[in-house]
Amino acid sequence: MTPKQPGLLLRWLEDVDARSPVPLYDQIASRLKAAVGGGVLADGDPLPSVRLLASELRINPATVVQAYRLLESDGFAEIRQGAGTFVRLPSSEQRQREREAQARRLMREALAEGARLGISAKEMRMAWDETIKERAR
Amino acid sequence: MTDAIRLAGVGYRPGAGFAIDNLSLAVPEGAIYGFLGPNGSGKTTTIRLMLGLLRPATGQIAVLGESVPDRVAQALGRIGYVPERPHLYGFLTVAESLRFHAAFHPRWDQAWANQLLRGFGLALDRPLGRLSKGEMGKLLMLQALCQRPELLVLDEPTDGLDPVVRRELLSAVVDYVAEHRATVFISSHLVHELERLCDWVGVMDQGTLVTQLPMSQLKNGIKRLRMSGPVDRLDGAPFSVLSRDGRTPGSIWIVDRWDLGMAGWIADRGVRIDAIDDLDLEEGFVERLKARRAGRQ
Repeated sequence: MTPKQPGLLLRWLEDVDARSPVPLYDQIASRLKAAVGGGVLADGDPLPSVRLLASELRINPATVVQAYRLLESDGFAEIRQGAGTFVRLPSSEQRQREREAQARRLMREALAEGARLGISAKEMRMAWDETIKERAR
Repeated sequence: MTDAIRLAGVGYRPGAGFAIDNLSLAVPEGAIYGFLGPNGSGKTTTIRLMLGLLRPATGQIAVLGESVPDRVAQALGRIGYVPERPHLYGFLTVAESLRFHAAFHPRWDQAWANQLLRGFGLALDRPLGRLSKGEMGKLLMLQALCQRPELLVLDEPTDGLDPVVRRELLSAVVDYVAEHRATVFISSHLVHELERLCDWVGVMDQGTLVTQLPMSQLKNGIKRLRMSGPVDRLDGAPFSVLSRDGRTPGSIWIVDRWDLGMAGWIADRGVRIDAIDDLDLEEGFVERLKARRAGRQ
């Protein structure tokens, strides 16, 4: 478990959505990357054990393993055999790329959700522009 | 990979009106297998056949490598079973019931039992007859887990329980599986609960297995297509069509066995695809059942 904010990380992961077309392991990995990018997790912090995270989220342990492998191959974590998985702070360019990728993922999810309801990409874009304007006011 | 459970051509007819018919099913070792189906589809009967509680009229059953029902005694000690309805003696207290159960299981994990008793908030001196439904569900799960089984067979373990208790029970199951690599066979009609947990899914309807697939394939293979153009040219498609709806300006089809290359096949026939939507497990489950009942599959 992370020493500083154990509960926060689990709350962050609790709302992963099995109904989404984005696979669960991918959702978990992106949330953890966002936590690293946003400074919630620091370099060298231990990630929750597979057993703990799987049972807290009531998901298949294999899904957590898959998420941690993805994090490792993307340079955000290091899996040490027998010791656990630890955060690795990627370079600032890599973090920036990750933020951009995260933004695209969120947009794709919103677009897909819109499409389910029969809302076109054009309508989504108009709503998006308006929402940004409202917030800027 | 070997199978923890294997049924081949199993038939069983308890009376007029309902039958398990030519049922074949395989649960790979280490899988968390979700067994879905509406009430009355034959899930509990299938489970009772697996555990040797019923004798099949035809076919073979093997569980943990033992032939059932002939050698079921060799397997039962390695199976943790949570039945649909409690089967415990109401006059025993929680402590007595645990001692009774533990006596049959040489691998019984008393340390974990104590931990779960505290976590679940079960009082040792309480008679089972006075447990609430949630407490009884917890006790049954505790007993099944603490015998340290290689296979967990859970028949609607969370049915009728409140969300907090459901979460506690499923967390305990995952905790056990992560540590001991057991196989789990879990039946439920609560589709969402299984969607995040299972890596294999079997769907029952009217006594037969409608489909059996790894979860990822089950979810990715089924799509909702919105198309416009001459959809009648799509005969002989490489995917299977579960339903088609042409009332709206475009046509909406639900298709199964989809993969990416098939979009090109549709475009080649002058039909435009306006959208390809994913279905979640519940939508996919409902569509498959509807299609099967309509006799299209």
